Amino acid sequence: MRKSLRFLPLAAGLVVVAVLPRVLYPPVALDIVCWALFAVAVDLLLGYTGLLSFGHAAFWGTSAYTAGLVAEHTGAPFPLAVLAGAAAAAVLAVPVGYLSVRRTGIYFAMVTLAFAQLMYVVANQWRGLTGGENGLQDVPRTLFGTHPFGTDLSDPYYFYYWMLPLALLGFLAAWRIVHSPFGRVLVAIRDNPARARALGYPVHRYKLVAFVLSAALAGLAGGLFAMSHQFVTLDTLHWTTSGQAVVMVVLGGIGTLWGAPVAAAILVRLQDILSLAHFEEVGLLTGGVFVVVVLLFRRGIWGTVAALLRRWRIG
Amino acid sequence: MRTIRIRKPLALAAAALVLAGCGGGGPRGGGGSKLTDGKIVLGVLNDQSGGYADLGGKNAVVAVQLAIDDFKAKYGAKAVTKDITVVTADHQNKPDVAKTDAQQMYDRQGVDAIFDVPTSSAALAVADVAKQDKRLYFNISAASDDLNGKSCNKFTFHYAYDTNMLANGTGAADTEGGARNWYLVYPNYAFGQDMTRGFTQAVSKAGGHVVATAGSPFPNPTEDYSSLLLKAASLNPKPDTLGVMQAGADLQNVVKQYNQFKLKDRGIKLAVGLMFITDIHSLGPDALAGTTFTDAWYWNFDQTNRSFANRFYAKTQTRPTFAHAANYSAALNYLEAVQAAGTDDAATVVGNLEGKKINDVFLRNGTVRAADHLVTHDAYLAQVKPSSQVAEPWDYEKIIKTIPADQAFNPPSGDCHL
Repeated sequence: MRKSLRFLPLAAGLVVVAVLPRVLYPPVALDIVCWALFAVAVDLLLGYTGLLSFGHAAFWGTSAYTAGLVAEHTGAPFPLAVLAGAAAAAVLAVPVGYLSVRRTGIYFAMVTLAFAQLMYVVANQWRGLTGGENGLQDVPRTLFGTHPFGTDLSDPYYFYYWMLPLALLGFLAAWRIVHSPFGRVLVAIRDNPARARALGYPVHRYKLVAFVLSAALAGLAGGLFAMSHQFVTLDTLHWTTSGQAVVMVVLGGIGTLWGAPVAAAILVRLQDILSLAHFEEVGLLTGGVFVVVVLLFRRGIWGTVAALLRRWRIG
Repeated sequence: MRTIRIRKPLALAAAALVLAGCGGGGPRGGGGSKLTDGKIVLGVLNDQSGGYADLGGKNAVVAVQLAIDDFKAKYGAKAVTKDITVVTADHQNKPDVAKTDAQQMYDRQGVDAIFDVPTSSAALAVADVAKQDKRLYFNISAASDDLNGKSCNKFTFHYAYDTNMLANGTGAADTEGGARNWYLVYPNYAFGQDMTRGFTQAVSKAGGHVVATAGSPFPNPTEDYSSLLLKAASLNPKPDTLGVMQAGADLQNVVKQYNQFKLKDRGIKLAVGLMFITDIHSLGPDALAGTTFTDAWYWNFDQTNRSFANRFYAKTQTRPTFAHAANYSAALNYLEAVQAAGTDDAATVVGNLEGKKINDVFLRNGTVRAADHLVTHDAYLAQVKPSSQVAEPWDYEKIIKTIPADQAFNPPSGDCHL
């Protein structure tokens, strides 16, 4: 692709991100950014390493609880709380990843799911810390006080712009990982682990590092999600949360990086429209969309668009 | 590559979907001084599909609509506005859904006051939103005393009842009536935890003893309480009373299983923390006959209540629970306060309501307590009639005594700083 064309999606993406809370209801814009980053983290593992994690809610939720607890008990400014959450997710990912990257395919998915369910039960039982079913309520959101530079941080509109740099940092990290020699090795491992091993790459170790990086990004997203809602519930650790992220990746296009955010935007917006229309069975419709995309558009939304762009360029 | 051609519409459709029906963007607006946008919107946020759907649910919307009709009929052309509507949402008893819904109601639907919100964890989340958005919230169906304790705020009123009212009534009365050793089972979330705390205090104060407590998951999709109930017989000392703190459909399941296991024959009597008339109706009065409990309002108590119940029945084909009556009363008193203040500005309306003494179809000797926004009123100690004494459909309760407002509720806890 020519250089000018390559930066076109980037420029368009930045413009969209910049105006999102002006055109959409700000809490929805916040949700889109958080879910987009979460889905990118899953894509990093699924699309570029070939590992389908069905337990990424463990990292999203662990980080959400950590960020919430740090903010509540220490009054730390929100970026610090979020980074603490991401760090906690990365630390958790080391043993989980160590035990699960030895398996592939469905076994890997099951092991990660098991760990996520474990975290769910722990959070549900450890009521003194997590509040159990009540969740962590009224998490404080501060940065140089509650009104940095005259903007009301409790207003989701302003908070969006304060949290955006952190989220963009996450997207940048994902992009950098994919377009690095390390990222190329991951793709090689995905396509042919035996050959990668024969070339002298320690496959398990590479997978473990990819797993921890992906968990840290999922944690970053989860921490931002907790801060956006000022509220952490057990749902953040529920298996449906892992499922939703995987659905976003498949819908957007596996291994495209751009697809996941697009699909996240569509799904979050769709849920918003449906809830405004008092349509309760949201899963029915999102599931239907999923089935249609998987059956008719194997490459997902972004994969299809990219193919189109390529065709235009050639034609 | 014939198939590629149909993919362009997909991408376009996706983009269109994200931007479809744009609006609601930008920073939050400030409150106006008169009626914002010339209308009043009331929001009813509650459970419309789960275990608490019968006690409030869609019929709570009917009750609020009745209040709107009565307000319009009373003031006619002199009303602050003729444009009063009610919107509603189902929070599925999930605190995060409740929080999002409440935010949507205030920000996007222009709701001036939210009513109802059963499930204490959800109610606490909505109270947070009310505080942040500086809009009113009248809690009706949630009982946690944190709502008027450590989580209280200027824009939240705790209207119908609370865990202390239930514990003071039932816990004390049953203990004085011979219940010495209690085994408490509770749903493990804010409401159940507060109920257990309240009952433990009330029982010990009356000279009884709580032998053990056990929590059940909430929500409890398995509907299985057998392990909790069967434990009762093995406790030492053996309890003589099972205190059930579950509510709504959960309560009904516990009572059914209590009867299946014949715990009564094993010398363990039933005490119920919170019961609505709809629960008795679902189970049938014989499943509960003789059980005493605290009620905040009973439809067949006097002629005033009865005539409201008749109007309610005409629209819903059921008798109102105390939550329905309280929704009606809260909505009407909110509208009266807006009328008196001449504005829907939340802070002004709060000022009008604080300290107000009210007597209406729901509130008897009612006071909107300024210190913690708890609305206190007379409560009732009731007993479930056996079916042989039920004179007409829904006539399930015998009111044993009226508990005066100052005894029914605890004084302000001191944890609340408005």
